Amino acid sequence: MSEDLPILACRDMSCQISARPKALDVLQNIDFTVARHTALGIVGESGAGKSMLVKSIMGIAPASVRVNGQIMLDGQDLFAMKPRDRARFIGRKVGIVFQNPMTSLNPYVPVGRQIAEACRQHFDVPRDEARQRAIELLRTVGIADPEDCYDYYPHHFSGGMKQRIMIAASLICHPDLLIADEATTALDVTVQKEVLDLLQTIQEQRQMSMILVSHNLGVVAGRTDEILVLYGGHVVEYGPTSEVFRNPRHRYTEALLSAMPHMDQPTHTRLRTIAGQPPSLANKPAGCPFAPRCGAAEGPCHTTMPDMRTGTDSRHRFACHFPLEQTVGPAVVSGATDRGARAQ
Amino acid sequence: MTNTRLPVAGTSPSRLLEIENLSVHFSRSGKLMRAVDGVSLHVAAGETLGLVGESGSGKTTIGRALLRLLPEANTQWQGSIRYQGTDLASLSRAGMRGMRGRMQMIFQDPVSSFNPRRRIEDIVAEGLVIQGVPKAERRTRVEAALADVGFALADVAGRKPHQFSGGQCQRIAIARALAVQPDLIVCDEPVASLDVSVQAHVINLLQDIREARRLAMIFISHDLAVVKNVSDRVAVLYMGKVVEMGSGEQIYDRPAHPYTRKLLEAVPVVDASRKLRPAADQQAIPSRIRPPSGCAFRTRCPRAVARCGEEEPILTPAPRGQMVACHFPHDETAPFSTARQA
Amino acid sequence: MSSPGAPLVQGTRLGDIARAAMPATSMLKLPGGTLFEMLAAAFLVFLVLIALFVDFIPGLVSPKFPYGDFSQMPDLTLNGLLGTDDIGRSILSRVLYGARASLTIVFVATCLSVSVGLLLGMLAGYYRGMLERMVDLYANTMSALPSVLVVLAFVTATGTSVGAIILILGILDIGTYARVAKAGVISQNNRDYVLAARAMGATDARILMKEILPNLIPALTAVMPTLMAGLIITEGSLSFLGYGIPAPAPSWGGMIASSTDLLSRFPVLIVGPTMAIVLTVYALNTVGDYLAHRLNSRERGN
Ligand SMILES: Nc1ncnc2c1ncn2[C@@H]1O[C@H](COP(=O)(O)OP(=O)(O)OP(=O)(O)O)[C@@H](O)[C@H]1O
Ligand SMILES: Nc1ncnc2c1ncn2[C@@H]1O[C@H](COP(=O)(O)OP(=O)(O)OP(=O)(O)O)[C@@H](O)[C@H]1O
Ligand code: SF4
Ligand code: SF4
Ligand SMILES: [Mg+2]
Ligand SMILES: [Mg+2]
Repeated sequence: MSEDLPILACRDMSCQISARPKALDVLQNIDFTVARHTALGIVGESGAGKSMLVKSIMGIAPASVRVNGQIMLDGQDLFAMKPRDRARFIGRKVGIVFQNPMTSLNPYVPVGRQIAEACRQHFDVPRDEARQRAIELLRTVGIADPEDCYDYYPHHFSGGMKQRIMIAASLICHPDLLIADEATTALDVTVQKEVLDLLQTIQEQRQMSMILVSHNLGVVAGRTDEILVLYGGHVVEYGPTSEVFRNPRHRYTEALLSAMPHMDQPTHTRLRTIAGQPPSLANKPAGCPFAPRCGAAEGPCHTTMPDMRTGTDSRHRFACHFPLEQTVGPAVVSGATDRGARAQ
Repeated sequence: MTNTRLPVAGTSPSRLLEIENLSVHFSRSGKLMRAVDGVSLHVAAGETLGLVGESGSGKTTIGRALLRLLPEANTQWQGSIRYQGTDLASLSRAGMRGMRGRMQMIFQDPVSSFNPRRRIEDIVAEGLVIQGVPKAERRTRVEAALADVGFALADVAGRKPHQFSGGQCQRIAIARALAVQPDLIVCDEPVASLDVSVQAHVINLLQDIREARRLAMIFISHDLAVVKNVSDRVAVLYMGKVVEMGSGEQIYDRPAHPYTRKLLEAVPVVDASRKLRPAADQQAIPSRIRPPSGCAFRTRCPRAVARCGEEEPILTPAPRGQMVACHFPHDETAPFSTARQA
Repeated sequence: MSSPGAPLVQGTRLGDIARAAMPATSMLKLPGGTLFEMLAAAFLVFLVLIALFVDFIPGLVSPKFPYGDFSQMPDLTLNGLLGTDDIGRSILSRVLYGARASLTIVFVATCLSVSVGLLLGMLAGYYRGMLERMVDLYANTMSALPSVLVVLAFVTATGTSVGAIILILGILDIGTYARVAKAGVISQNNRDYVLAARAMGATDARILMKEILPNLIPALTAVMPTLMAGLIITEGSLSFLGYGIPAPAPSWGGMIASSTDLLSRFPVLIVGPTMAIVLTVYALNTVGDYLAHRLNSRERGN
């Protein structure tokens, strides 16, 4: 495994759910890479397919889902492996933290033991050493008095603490990639910030890669290197985070950014809204998934799916027939200010 | 507790709602939990008061106490709630029912705020039926309320709540509250469970209605950007107490209380121009049953000194006009404030 | 917890999918039960029809009067299909008329216990406190005592009459229904829609009737068949012991009792009444399981 090889590469991946009367496409034409030591943000509305994407990568999509395409993890083609090997391989390379800390931990087993047990499953280490490792991990994620906390049950911890414990558990195998699927959505602002800070610190210290999944653009804004915007199961925009936020090219990304209330808008500012609803799986539009809600939609938008194209920065890609102008300008202090001014 | 009826900048004299010294205590397995502790607030007609604070700080409890919707078992509460001159706290259950039409509530979870077995038009008309509005008038008022939130009666007639999306349900919930023509609506995290694109609809809708009807609102949320957008004044709660209260600009541009600053720093901002530096510090949140002596925030406060543990700070006017409960309030603009950049 | 990830899969909204993927017509289809459950339901419908229309079955003799020889073996005539009993009455006729008697008693008793239990349970769940404790105590006591003994004691005191039997059978299950209703009310009490109704100024009675009651019906319907099956057995035992419906009216339990005397010589004659009880109880339990299962899956779906 060479260092310049991306840790994760999805090539033309798609997911289908078998259903009556016809199969439903949850994800289509997903193409992205996560380079080593970088963080990727995946954003999209509820139902956009974020969790499905993560689960497909982890090989834990529900049985009714068929995953096609190619997923390369650390240079290895996952679908070329035997299922058993694949599960082990993924388990070693990738750590994952889910949204709901309450259901992810077994309520009847002390948290430390849960981590230690997982440790023993992956590495054939004696009980004592597993315990030491678990305590070490708990310390890493900022749990005070890890020796005592080792024997506490999940209900002794607050939501934020449980999420820290989940992060500790995901670090057992020294993964190269850490995935956080809405890991902070259930937490309140101050705790959310602490957990995000922790994730970022760990990612940087341990030289890992990270995928940060969220429906909140603010969560990924300052913490990722690249960002992938999902809409209706399609990648609509993908590029360096600062580029995408400063100069969104896809109409949906732009609409989403200006629909958010910003801290620097005066009170009672009217927000820009996006008409209509996200597409349902059962009747997806034929062309651009955003066409029914897009103000700029014209003929081709309703009939043909736009191809990915590249902006002036070749890393910034977007799938729109009529993309927004590239506004070449100096880097602004705050992307938000810029946008707030334009929305008015 | 102290009297907070000192004039606060930006308030109008016509107070629709005035809460004084409201305390709500829950007893859970023998332990007393002060969910709300001596809170005084007021709302003028047509004004929106934002309530912010972290989870468990007592926001919902205050909202429910106002409407006398607290559970009866294991709950004690006291204080005065004056609404349009009537003290709600002293009303009997029947007397309270008479006041019900004048204040309404919108809940966080749009789906569970509807009885799954009832039809939408019945749900919206329920308040009118209870008030004894004649059938013919009921229909026009239901139609009007639905029209206010962008539905025609024909769109919803005969359908049940589960046939609508979260955003649609929240609009119907607003229609239900509007149908009885209240003067005050308590919105308990009305957009927390909605997607960004849908959330903007609901916020705009609430703003339109507020203007058109001169409706007062108490807007509870932990999303500070949303609160900033909708509120004229903001009250910050920490462990059941108001720690800072003032106009939106005061609170957001020159937060005086260290906790308010902490909250504001934590807001995820859509600003990708620089990568954030993660902060390493984190402090444990103290127990609600045995709160710290003196200032409840001192366990997490960077400015805490011995005095904070001995003497409980009381709400007093800060130099900038807002009320703050801190011995050593800040007086500089927030480092993260956008006012600085403008 | 194994590898971080694998068992932690959760949080997709299958209900949404199911609804989205389901064309509108499939909502109207018979709610998917197995063939077995269908058969059980059909059997119960058949039994109810018999109970209602047994008088109109052409050629069926009266159950109260002898029609042939004593203890006649089954033959292929209508009245002799299950044989005759010790005094020559048609067993088939008595089984069919017995269905009417049993079902009537069970039905009326259930109406009684559901209405009283629902009322008590709703009040107990809504107001809690003393009433709740009393309901719990009552339900616990009733389920701790062997029901046949309770019923026997009662009937010995009052004398055997259909009214007394219905009354005591009804009283038996009040506690269980009350507890189911109470649990349902408590789980709804702090739902937002109940709060919303209260915020609208609805009276407690209105909240109970309009918001809470409709949502209790499914849970009650699901426990009803199982409890009814229990009543069938209790009523059968009572008749078996001779404290049931007064003779010569036919009852399944009484028929089993009278054929046990001749069991060694004519074992076939016990088949009719026994099968009647076994099949009915079995069918009721099957339908009860099916309803409970449906209820659970629907609540999870929502
Ligand atoms: N097990 C499943 N069977 C069928 N459809 C599913 C399943 N899981 C998810 N889906 C559907 O796939 C789509 C994508 O779901 P996914 O959970 O990935 O969305 P998401 O972007 O994670 O949304 P959220 O922000 O709500 O978590 C949705 O339309 C969802 O309804
Ligand atoms: N019925 C109750 N019985 C006992 N404790 C309660 C009850 N309702 C609320 N509490 C407690 O009171 C405190 C305040 O709760 P409240 O719901 O008002 O918080 P909140 O500010 O609305 O929080 P969130 O942002 O999580 O909604 C919490 O610690 C909660 O556990
Ligand atoms: S392709 Fe057309 S419909 Fe889609 S976002 Fe671009 S302009 Fe809008
Ligand atoms: S009173 Fe002291 S501890 Fe409390 S917020 Fe002010 S400085 Fe901090
Ligand atoms: Mg998800
Ligand atoms: Mg709340």
